[in-house]
Amino acid sequence: MAKPILEIDGLQAGYGDVQVLWDIGLSVNEGEIACVVGSNGAGKTTLLRTISGLIEPKAGSIVFDGEEIAGARPDEVLTRGIAHVPEGRRLFKGLTVEDNLLLGAYLRRDKSAVRDDMDFVLDLFPILKERRLQDATTMSGGEQQMCAIGRGIMSRPRLLVIDELSLGLAPRLVERLSEALIEINGTGLTILLVEQDVMTAFDVASRAFVIETGRVSMSGETSVLGEDPRVREAYMGI
Amino acid sequence: MDVFQILLNGIVLGALYACIAIGFSLVWGVLNVINMLHGSFIILGGYLTYFAWHYTGIYPIILLPFVALALFALGYVLQHLFINKVVTAPVLTTLTLTFGLDMILYNLMTVFFTATPRRVTLDLGTLSFGDVYLPIDRLLGMALALVLTALLYLVMRGSRIGRAIVAVRMDRQAAALMGIRVNQVYSITFGIGALMAGAAGAIFAMVFPVTTNLTGVFLGKAFVVCVIGGLGSVPGALVGGLALGLIESVAGYTIGPQNAITVGFLLMLFLLVVRPTGLIGVKGYE
Repeated sequence: MAKPILEIDGLQAGYGDVQVLWDIGLSVNEGEIACVVGSNGAGKTTLLRTISGLIEPKAGSIVFDGEEIAGARPDEVLTRGIAHVPEGRRLFKGLTVEDNLLLGAYLRRDKSAVRDDMDFVLDLFPILKERRLQDATTMSGGEQQMCAIGRGIMSRPRLLVIDELSLGLAPRLVERLSEALIEINGTGLTILLVEQDVMTAFDVASRAFVIETGRVSMSGETSVLGEDPRVREAYMGI
Repeated sequence: MDVFQILLNGIVLGALYACIAIGFSLVWGVLNVINMLHGSFIILGGYLTYFAWHYTGIYPIILLPFVALALFALGYVLQHLFINKVVTAPVLTTLTLTFGLDMILYNLMTVFFTATPRRVTLDLGTLSFGDVYLPIDRLLGMALALVLTALLYLVMRGSRIGRAIVAVRMDRQAAALMGIRVNQVYSITFGIGALMAGAAGAIFAMVFPVTTNLTGVFLGKAFVVCVIGGLGSVPGALVGGLALGLIESVAGYTIGPQNAITVGFLLMLFLLVVRPTGLIGVKGYE
């Protein structure tokens, strides 16, 4: 029986008077790659921002590794072990690739282990090694996404959540990044991927949750969901 | 007067201007707060140095780090208690708040210290190279100003807190996702701004007489230096400071000291029109 590392139940959240999430319930098992898919404006990014503490939920619970983290500050969520790779990369302009990666490890005090993780990231994405001392925001979109994922890993999380892995990237690069995610997952890190591109998400993830207007409308194994005519019609254009 | 003398005066003055402006520039760039307290912080640093020296006889260079730390604490507390409450509000709100705090600090200083100009007299003598003269206290002031500037640069570039400050400046939300507590970084940044102001004041008190009447002048200089050099970076404040110092020195000699300040402001207006990011400011980086 797979053990859930993240369990969300009855989650409601939004911005001011605008409610975006109405009733989100999902769970992510330890060691798996799960994905959340849905069209633009369904509430995917809001869900991730609520998990990582950027938005306070209105109701519901988020349990991570047995502890309630709904309403916790972002630094507390990160300390518990959830790292969030935001949509659009959001690398820090004016700072080198190395400095950006080090900021991922901002809360850590174990310097030698941080150096090991830096080596791991630079081996995973060798192009970052070449560009180590370059302003991170001057790199190509794919390289920036590698840096953003690397920055997430640098906190040595137990769960890595990634918002829109493929956004604005060429298919060849998306494939390269998908392979990297599978490799990272192989080290034991659980991954929750949020994607608009359902094909890509289903290729990488083993389970999926479909969000429509702030509610989970379908969920299950990606191999099963991928054959579901509703999913195929609505999200894959088949 | 010799052209070397004019340039030397300009560089000495410029280094002091850079030191005055650097904390102001940092706070403006990172917090988007125009800190009206900055001039009073400088004078407070000057007065604390003067009175500590006057009553204890301790050499002012030894006092400088303590004065700077005291100002850091004051700045941190003010940001933590007051400015953080409205830091995301439009710039006019924070400007009004710091203006109000400045009125309180300014008037308290006038009551406690009076507005009498005071100066630490070191009597170090004067160096001369042919026709060029350089009072040693000014040389010392310039050296201290440059050392402080270099130190701040190193902290911003190479330290954990420096990286966090730059991260918060560039993207507050992404910084929060790194586990950076944004309001705490704001308080530290404002504290560093006050620290640099206090240190600049301590240096000034060794070189020129300081009085509360000068708070507005210093604030104005900081403002002009930021616009000339470019906002929020240490090199920007250094370039802006040296540029203003040289311009005032040259203008003071050619068209008279009473017009030197006007020339500085005219240059600022000119730059706002042709290069609003400042001499070495980067677009999108301001």
